[in-house]
Amino acid sequence: MATRHLIIGAGTAGLNCIRTIREEEAEPSEITLVSGERPYSRMVLPYYLGETISESHVFTATPASLAAWKVKPLIGRRAARLDPAAGAVTLDDGATVEFDDCLIATGSRAVKAPIPGADGPGVHCFWTLDEARAVIAGITPGSRVVMVGAGFIAFTILNAILARGASLTIVEVAPRILPRMVDATCAGIVESWLAKNSVAARTGATVTSIEQVKGQRKLSFAAGAPLVADVVIMATGIRPNLEWLEGSGVEMSTAPGGGILVDDHLRSNHPRVYAAGDVARGRNVVTGLPEVHAIEPTAQEHGRVVGANMAGRDVAHRGSLVMNIVEVCHLDVASFGQWEDPAAEVYTAERVGRSQYRKLLFHGGRLTGAVICGPAADVWTTNDVGMLKGLVQSGVDLSAWKAHLRANPFDVKPAFLATRTVSRLLPQTILGRPSNSPQLPQSVVVK
Amino acid sequence: MKALAFHPTKCTGCLRCELMCSYTQTGQFQPAKSVIRVAPLEGYTSYAPYTCTQCAEGWCMTACPVGAITITAAGAKDVVDDKCVGCKLCTIACPYGTMFYDVDTRKAYKCNLCGGAPACADACPTQAITFEDVPADDWIGSFAAERTVRILALDEAAAAGAR
Repeated sequence: MATRHLIIGAGTAGLNCIRTIREEEAEPSEITLVSGERPYSRMVLPYYLGETISESHVFTATPASLAAWKVKPLIGRRAARLDPAAGAVTLDDGATVEFDDCLIATGSRAVKAPIPGADGPGVHCFWTLDEARAVIAGITPGSRVVMVGAGFIAFTILNAILARGASLTIVEVAPRILPRMVDATCAGIVESWLAKNSVAARTGATVTSIEQVKGQRKLSFAAGAPLVADVVIMATGIRPNLEWLEGSGVEMSTAPGGGILVDDHLRSNHPRVYAAGDVARGRNVVTGLPEVHAIEPTAQEHGRVVGANMAGRDVAHRGSLVMNIVEVCHLDVASFGQWEDPAAEVYTAERVGRSQYRKLLFHGGRLTGAVICGPAADVWTTNDVGMLKGLVQSGVDLSAWKAHLRANPFDVKPAFLATRTVSRLLPQTILGRPSNSPQLPQSVVVK
Repeated sequence: MKALAFHPTKCTGCLRCELMCSYTQTGQFQPAKSVIRVAPLEGYTSYAPYTCTQCAEGWCMTACPVGAITITAAGAKDVVDDKCVGCKLCTIACPYGTMFYDVDTRKAYKCNLCGGAPACADACPTQAITFEDVPADDWIGSFAAERTVRILALDEAAAAGAR
């Protein structure tokens, strides 16, 4: 009998796992995919909102492509209970799916801050396709939009809201914007840039209630004047979808960030149960410590490592790099690795008036984190973004370059080239082999 | 499969490669849009051309959330414009700093070996850039190390002076 793989979740981790199983397996296997939603990319929903792509563009697998991959899709069904010992999952409709191994890739969901009135009409999250549709229906030219939360997710949809002709006010409870993505100096630069682009940011502001007044939303604050909005978007955090695993015996971390405890093969405490993406406490490539990243590239790497292991290979994951990039009205803002680290040696430089900023964090000769900000039209910003990633990822010894980088944190390229970072990076692959083009594997021959 | 090879000792820093690259890739003679970059070293006395190695992992390709980066018949990773949404994930995923973003088209772009006839190699008057049957390599790292020694010595001296 063919091996039966069960993939729970059709996001980035789940689909990358499926593709990799098909790329790697020697014998055709059975793959079942359980997903509450049709497979689509959450990463690209902001572009759907901004009307630069159509809705059809967001789907990452169609019924036809799943058929071509010989995947049995159970779309619209959610896993409700896992019994690792029996090798069975019970779905929300009571049906049971048996497996030889399974991947938990149930991702995260958006959570609204516990503010009275946050469940009312016109108060949205922006996380799922359905939520995106609701926001799209709600915002018309001239709409007043208030975004509660000034984190990464909020910033990914900022351009799109403005592109729809709405006015925007951002409200953040922390004393500054992007509190978990960049440092205070960089946040200040972004805030000034926003002001120039007519986006108001109100930091240190606690929303106490959201009331429905004559078809509009009135937000009251612990201090300061209330705001009136046509649409409120709550970008107040995400939470991993793990509740359904209660009683399954799958071990979770009680440390901050939580997540399913996994080994370097992304296996849970049950050898035939894997976890990937936002629910998995995988290895951080810089620190070596386990943590939940909840970012797209980590989900992708996890998914592929699990797929290879499910297909019978023995692939250990070196770890993933925490990184984020967001473009705000043509200003690029990115951070890598341990960008907030009191134990690190820190070099910073700002070009005042040009919205350019660099922050480099070292432990000895090793670059362990970086923050970068600059206009997207400035080509060096984009190039430096990649090279800083390469320096952090490779862990190359920059000892000889520290005096130079301290004097000029903008001059990254000579250090990158002269330390032969390219030769260190070239042998690195996630699966120990060249990656394939993302088209369908050509040789799926499951009977 | 043929790849770009760089021989920096032959590079004069004339930037013809950047000019032809930008024209072939974007239709504009605008070096700022070139995906090959000539790195000036040692105070603009040495030069080394640098672009995508078409690395085995293809960090840009595997990171793309919509599968917009594919491998072409020429063996290059290339951005499919119709699929790219401009999210820039490839620009942070690429550890070589060789992904680019066109602010006019709002798409990512990169070296695609010009479909198998790279304009940079064709334009180079000194054969500092060649297109050969060679594996991906760090063509300019040792050269850059050698041609930055004096800069680093000056930095050290300045730092010592400050102490």
